[in-house]
Amino acid sequence: MNHEPWLAALTGELRRHGVGPDLTGHVVAEAATHLLDSGESPLRVFGAPETYARAVVDSLGGPDVRPPRRQPGPVRLAARGITKRYRGRTVLDRVDLTVRAGQIAAVVGANGAGKSTFLRICAGLLSPDAGTVEVHGTLGYCPQDGGTAEFLSADEHFVLIGAGRGLGRAEARRTGRAEASGLAWTPPRRTQARHLSGGTRQKLNLVLARLGEPDVLLLDEPYQGFDRGTYLDFWHEVWRWRDAGKAVVVVTHLLNQLDRVDVVLDLSGERAA
Amino acid sequence: MSRTLVVAEAALRELLRRRTVLVILLLMPLAFYLSRRGDHLGQSIRFVCLGLAWALSTAALFAGSAARGIEPRLRLSGYGSRHLVLGRLLALWTVGVLLSTPYFLLVLADQRDVRYGAIALIMALTVFVSVPFGLLLSAVLPRELEGTLVLLTVVGLQMVMNPAGSATRALPFWFSRELATYAVDHTDGGYLTRGLIHGLVFGVALTVLVVAAAAVRLRQRRHLRLAI
Repeated sequence: MNHEPWLAALTGELRRHGVGPDLTGHVVAEAATHLLDSGESPLRVFGAPETYARAVVDSLGGPDVRPPRRQPGPVRLAARGITKRYRGRTVLDRVDLTVRAGQIAAVVGANGAGKSTFLRICAGLLSPDAGTVEVHGTLGYCPQDGGTAEFLSADEHFVLIGAGRGLGRAEARRTGRAEASGLAWTPPRRTQARHLSGGTRQKLNLVLARLGEPDVLLLDEPYQGFDRGTYLDFWHEVWRWRDAGKAVVVVTHLLNQLDRVDVVLDLSGERAA
Repeated sequence: MSRTLVVAEAALRELLRRRTVLVILLLMPLAFYLSRRGDHLGQSIRFVCLGLAWALSTAALFAGSAARGIEPRLRLSGYGSRHLVLGRLLALWTVGVLLSTPYFLLVLADQRDVRYGAIALIMALTVFVSVPFGLLLSAVLPRELEGTLVLLTVVGLQMVMNPAGSATRALPFWFSRELATYAVDHTDGGYLTRGLIHGLVFGVALTVLVVAAAAVRLRQRRHLRLAI
């Protein structure tokens, strides 16, 4: 499907709304990536270019009604000197990141910068060539894709993951459904994961990461396939978790949200923590 | 134990919802049985057991590969690797028993003058060995096609190699030939003992290897220090 006309119209609308060229470029690139990944029509995913541009502007400049941030708590995640090489190429070079309770860290960088690799190392799913990760508390992880069982329904996923967290069946289902409602989603009772759309499956993925309220949440571009409304809901949920004292690490290339996070780790250039 | 049972229940649900696969799994041993029914009596029994072995190993191989995506998340959610692998083994063994029961009834109805207890034993051992064999292949060869090719090779060798040769004892389903000979030809107890020992040793060894492979793959990495 050719998305160019829609992307060009979005570029024009963003400019008309006074959005700078850098940010316009990022927003358009992000939309293009979503469209490429989902294969869906831009009108279906984002709506009309003008509507989406206005939503972006609103999300940037709208009044911030969130409660004031509390003082960050104790260190929940400390990654030190993480180095990873693939076939002689250094992907991560002595990367440090410290995230405290009540903080959101954004891991940003170009494609191939090692964002997902870094998160998988933090989750303990991949070994680094050097460095250590200390996690104080329980871990929740939302992968970029996968992480669900094709032939199980959402409720069955809640029971399965919940049992690992020590939740009973009814409690796991209740908790899962409550978390899903935060993303404006009511999981269908019998629909198997394979029949869910890409965006809805990511909602399931995100809810599963939150089951049992882990202290540290590692989210690898969890908004793939989300429509605009869900995307905004997602960030509101992330802020809510932060305000509840959770440490949240989000891999993102949506730079328009960086002013609303506490720590930025840029893997494309200078390392910062 | 409850975590193991939850994993087993989820794995069983997943398997039972693949209806087309289930139908093929159910029919594959029948094709093997019918292909040799006109030959020597023992051959059809031996072949139905090999058909069961092939069907169950393949199911286990694909179930193991399909689980790879969610297992790291389950591990992070509080499951030990033993919960995951034992739960899956339990589910697949249950499917194996459900799958082999109609074939035992078929033999019971269709064959005369055979030792039915020994045939039940062949089928039980076939279920016991096939499941960890398929799961081990999925653990060692993460790409399904590679695992399937190895499976084809092993079961193919099991069919074409001279069963009297010592090399065939290295194959996981050699016991079925020994036990089938005992069951059909009413030979002495040596066949029963050899078959039983072979099946048990392979079943236990493969199960231990599957558990070990899962423990290594889903281990907590040394760089990660969790202080809960």
